[in-house]
Amino acid sequence: MRSTDDRLDHLFGALSDRTRRKMVTRLSRAPATIGELAEPFAMSLPAVSKHVRVLERAGLVRRTIDGRIHRCALERKRLREANEWIERYTEFWDGTLDALAAFVESK
Amino acid sequence: MIAARPERLFAAWTTPELLQQWWGPAGVRCTAAEIDLRPGGAYRIGNTLPDGRVIWISGEFEVVESPHLLSYSWRTGGEHVSRVTVSFAALGEGSTEVVIHHERIHSAPVRDEHEHGWAGCLDGLERWLAA
Repeated sequence: MRSTDDRLDHLFGALSDRTRRKMVTRLSRAPATIGELAEPFAMSLPAVSKHVRVLERAGLVRRTIDGRIHRCALERKRLREANEWIERYTEFWDGTLDALAAFVESK
Repeated sequence: MIAARPERLFAAWTTPELLQQWWGPAGVRCTAAEIDLRPGGAYRIGNTLPDGRVIWISGEFEVVESPHLLSYSWRTGGEHVSRVTVSFAALGEGSTEVVIHHERIHSAPVRDEHEHGWAGCLDGLERWLAA
């Protein structure tokens, strides 16, 4: 079992690349094969597959293999995890700025 | 936007005695602060949570431009390092716009390289096992 920090490292690492973000956006509409995922990119299938592997390791994509066809589907649960992490920080900084404002404005 | 001048906000952010009086969202108390305010200087802030646990935030300053700009690394335990940039822009009439950028600038590129390296090794092993 990997720690939450490790999971988030993989998650944000996977999302730190624009090609992979586009793939996530594409998969958010519907599952796709590797070939379909490759369509918008000038990229070889192995290169696309490499990106998919990074997304898989981050838990963002689940791949099912049916003969020669690799189908990819988005794991929304993981995306929510990323969102929750961002929200925690947003809350932290919002609260911190409120406290700063209260402090300097009270004097 | 906060009704104070940049100088005051910058001081509140970078002076340990002042920082301790306000730092942290509701429920978090700042119980210790050490700040060596210069590029390359270190800081650490002790945050006491409602349940008594203390979380240390630490790092080094990268940019110190009083009273408008601060940039520093941010660690909360573990190896993970991110970067916080705070800017204080005077809006006139004694108020200031405070903007915080918290970037998660961890070693993703380096780690990805390692991952690719390892993934390649594992693929090779898989092929070898399957052969």
